[in-house]
Amino acid sequence: MSFFKITLHRSFIGMPKRTRGVLAALGLHRRGQLVFQPVSADIAGMIMKVKELVKVEEVDRALTKQEVYAQRAPEPGFWIESFGASRRAADGLEVGKGEEGEVRL
Amino acid sequence: MFGPFRITSSLSGGLLWKIPWRLSPTQKFRQRKRLRAVDQVVETLSKALAKKGETLASLERWKSEMPTEAQMQPRDKYTMFDRKEKRYRKGIHKLPKWTRVSQRVNPPGY
Repeated sequence: MSFFKITLHRSFIGMPKRTRGVLAALGLHRRGQLVFQPVSADIAGMIMKVKELVKVEEVDRALTKQEVYAQRAPEPGFWIESFGASRRAADGLEVGKGEEGEVRL
Repeated sequence: MFGPFRITSSLSGGLLWKIPWRLSPTQKFRQRKRLRAVDQVVETLSKALAKKGETLASLERWKSEMPTEAQMQPRDKYTMFDRKEKRYRKGIHKLPKWTRVSQRVNPPGY
């Protein structure tokens, strides 16, 4: 079973009541919100009503809220992109040159 | 010329809105982008429904009647019909909520 992944991309401020009602029926209440709806003619008809406001993709399964959050969360920890740059600078060498090393801490 | 009592169009005529008569190249670029985004949504819907073997009257009607961004003439992308306007055309940015509504076709012959 496939799903429509619908993102409310454009604001519905000032849009007619019918349009806002369609968005509410799709489960979209604020800009940037993401909902999954099953692929069917009636859902597609609702999307057609608000096609200027949303971004739509077809996906194989609906992600849960936790999964969506997990996708958005940045990786823990941090990267040092040019290892030893400060040290080379301290030695009087050119910063930003030399081997490109990425170190994961 | 300068000072508090200078004659400007807004002071002598009251309310003056300065809406440019045509779109800037950047506005036109973003307009094309929005048109393509709507085309993309329609395509996604029709592909997904075709996989399930379902049809949708509003979708079929849109596909038969509305040109895609690539098929549209520049005059239809950036201007629209208006019976009160000289030469019957005005900039599409005069349309209320023009970035969030579809306005693609115009009366034939205009």
